[in-house]
Amino acid sequence: MGEFARLNFYCDEHRCINCDGCSVACAEAHELPEYISRRKVITMNEGIENMEYSLSIACMHCTDAPCEQVCPVDCFYIREDGIVLHDKDKCIGCAYCLYACPFGAPQFPLDGAFGTKGVMDKCTMCAGGPEETNSHAERELYGQNRISEGKVPVCAAMCSTKALLVGDSAEISDIYRERILSKGHGVKTQPYGWDVAYGKKM
Amino acid sequence: MKKRYLALIVLLSTFLFGSKADSSIWGTDLLTHILEYDKEGSLHMGYWFTLIQSTYVKPMLLFVLIVIPLAFIVHYLLIGPKRFSHEGRSIMMFPLFKRINHGIAAISFIIIVPTGIIMIFGSTFGGGAFVRFCKEAHAISAPLFFLSVIPMLLTWFSRMLLSPKDDLRWLKIVGGYLSKEKKPVPAGMFNMGQKIYFWIVTLGGLVMIATSVALYFVDFEIIRPVLEYYSLSQIDFLRISALTHNIIGIVIVAMFMVHIYMSVFAIEGAYKSMVDGKMHEEEVKILHSTYYKELQEKGEV
Repeated sequence: MGEFARLNFYCDEHRCINCDGCSVACAEAHELPEYISRRKVITMNEGIENMEYSLSIACMHCTDAPCEQVCPVDCFYIREDGIVLHDKDKCIGCAYCLYACPFGAPQFPLDGAFGTKGVMDKCTMCAGGPEETNSHAERELYGQNRISEGKVPVCAAMCSTKALLVGDSAEISDIYRERILSKGHGVKTQPYGWDVAYGKKM
Repeated sequence: MKKRYLALIVLLSTFLFGSKADSSIWGTDLLTHILEYDKEGSLHMGYWFTLIQSTYVKPMLLFVLIVIPLAFIVHYLLIGPKRFSHEGRSIMMFPLFKRINHGIAAISFIIIVPTGIIMIFGSTFGGGAFVRFCKEAHAISAPLFFLSVIPMLLTWFSRMLLSPKDDLRWLKIVGGYLSKEKKPVPAGMFNMGQKIYFWIVTLGGLVMIATSVALYFVDFEIIRPVLEYYSLSQIDFLRISALTHNIIGIVIVAMFMVHIYMSVFAIEGAYKSMVDGKMHEEEVKILHSTYYKELQEKGEV
């Protein structure tokens, strides 16, 4: 990992077999409550021949994180390595981050009386939150902190076809290029990169 | 018997889990929305919401909160309050029902407006339990406002209709508030300023309630056919709701501040009619001259 590494997820759509293992692993590892799914597997172009492919999506940890921009209580913070995290003690559950997010990554437990929204929960790239690293409080609020232990996020670690990659964007694109070259043919889709949510493309 | 019991459980669980499985945000709609993302022809509401919410909403409210009180101070120092004789006869303007109604609206506004401002400046207050409490208080007092806005709209409707002759003249002299003179001001039971406030707060208030329900529940299916008719996704609807809610909210904050300044400072003691419903004869004669003539014709004064 270089000095200016930015951690990113990348899902190789040629390899994803729609097994849903990543989202199950995520929910299990972080002991997520019901109806909270930090990670989801979606199938694009379903039913269209030769166009169908599956992807695993969660928080994309955007550089220009729109959630961070709209949060009225500034509960988000972006780590040096690009992981977008948030402070659940500050969050008021207003759901503005959900409106800003292109992927519907922020999740809200409907745990209060009269359907009030609880505080937001989203993928932390297994990096916990602002509480003391690997403390009980951090585990309770954000789930495991595997990054601090030098482990790969659980979704990518257990991905059976190694479709879901995580790490420094430069290294990931190297791995992806290698895969494409060794396969040589039959590439159906263009590889996508993920950096900013809104802005340069508008 | 056992079979029936089993069937019941299966049926109940489909309602419980089946309905939740196809959420209008995180369900199959999420996919269409991702496919539309950034494509030509999409509304780009995610972009617009992020831009407006992150850069314009807070400064707009800050502007309102600074400029309007400044204008009040200047007005108070240069022109000062209007004082009317509190001796002599008083005229009943607001019967009990309307006063109770106004009282409920007032209580709800006293909670809704400051908590809304605190939420927009949430980071200044550090977020957490306090701002979360304000968020819940904001939501809880909304039904209270709803309770008063409908009767308010119905009972004052005819009196609040615009009467171009008076209202244009009222606007031209800004209700006579820019001079110290006590000349009769062209206005019926309500002047143009009150009418503007009324329509913004009632019609705008109904929009506020509708959008607040959407923002409160987030994930619901009830209006899906309507949204589909306008080919609008739930998430875009929520984005539009949030922007509308915040922009109309800021306008209402501004109008609410003017309303309070008028009743407490600009016309000395005017707020007292909130409780007894009465206005003194001289005040009606000057500030609501058309209404005074109407009463004279009826022989009530």
